[in-house]
Amino acid sequence: MLGPKLVGNNSVALVPMTLEHHKLRGPWMTHPDVGRFWGPRFGDFTPENLEERFKKDCEDPNQVQWTIAYQDEPVGFTGIFGIDWVRRDGESGIFIGRHDLYGRGIGSEAVRLRTDFAWKELRLHRVHNWIAHANRGSRRANEKSGYKQMGLQPRTFFRSGEWYDEWLGEAFPHTFPEKA
Amino acid sequence: MALGGTIRGKKTALRLPVEADLDVYNRWMADLRVRRAHNVWHEPAMPATWKERFKEVAKEKQAVLWSIEADGKLIGLAFGYMWGLWSGFDLSQLVIDPDQWRKGYGFDVALALHRYLFDYLDLRRSDLELRADNAAALRIADRLGYVEYARGHDAAYRDGAYVDQLRLLMEKETWHERWSAEREYGPLAADATR
Repeated sequence: MLGPKLVGNNSVALVPMTLEHHKLRGPWMTHPDVGRFWGPRFGDFTPENLEERFKKDCEDPNQVQWTIAYQDEPVGFTGIFGIDWVRRDGESGIFIGRHDLYGRGIGSEAVRLRTDFAWKELRLHRVHNWIAHANRGSRRANEKSGYKQMGLQPRTFFRSGEWYDEWLGEAFPHTFPEKA
Repeated sequence: MALGGTIRGKKTALRLPVEADLDVYNRWMADLRVRRAHNVWHEPAMPATWKERFKEVAKEKQAVLWSIEADGKLIGLAFGYMWGLWSGFDLSQLVIDPDQWRKGYGFDVALALHRYLFDYLDLRRSDLELRADNAAALRIADRLGYVEYARGHDAAYRDGAYVDQLRLLMEKETWHERWSAEREYGPLAADATR
């Protein structure tokens, strides 16, 4: 399903994803500046497949997806996936496709909005995620909203001659900072 | 991919799943002994729903499902995902019929499956998630060579309470150190490639 509009600080908002937003996956996910910590830089990004995937995502009751908007422009995606409504647990993810906007706090604000929604509206008990350990920006964005390390999967992905670990984080309502 | 073929163990064998297995799958998914031990693959449902699920899994590009037999009888299922670029495998389900527990089937089928992953597919690692109170599964994982790398706190819910979930991985190097004698095929004749 698509998440509702959540307006945050610093001109950041989470908005329901549209098919036009979804089609940005192709150009964003195949760009080298984005691919340092993300994916193999190839995929089936034909319009038909993107449309089919978008339809499936919208129909799936066990995930909530948003487009991240910055100054009213789509700049990335975030969501909570594979929600288990008995355990009240889900896996969160974030992707900033506009690499020219890195370092402006957009990710931190998007994670704060998403995490707040997980506790206050979805009544989840726990949210967990996987982040490239070397992706300090994404890790910090999640830590600011209460994610804590639960482990490291060693040597998970390889870039430019080196192996990197994957950071596993988890957050609970009680770890969400008051000031957030 | 999607529906897995035959992998022989000593007491058990993984084999191609067929529609006739689905009724038994449904029974296991409705069994509280199974549900308290680990996550279910799917919730219990009508036969038509199971048939749809079966069709779907057969089409999935990176998932593999096997049925498990012992003495010609269906006794379990295994299900997992190949990682992108075929570097590893997530063993998501290894279900043994609760009426067949404590007969050594779990370890036997796990060993055969891992032989396939490392000795046949040459994967780099295998990964799995287990509930912290599933002592039998943890023993099997430890014996195979898995090591814990993460603990999700209060991540699973069963029997009125939360329990931690452990993430474990096993590297190809560990397989070769511990189980190098485990080979599916015997050596070929010296002149086989002449």
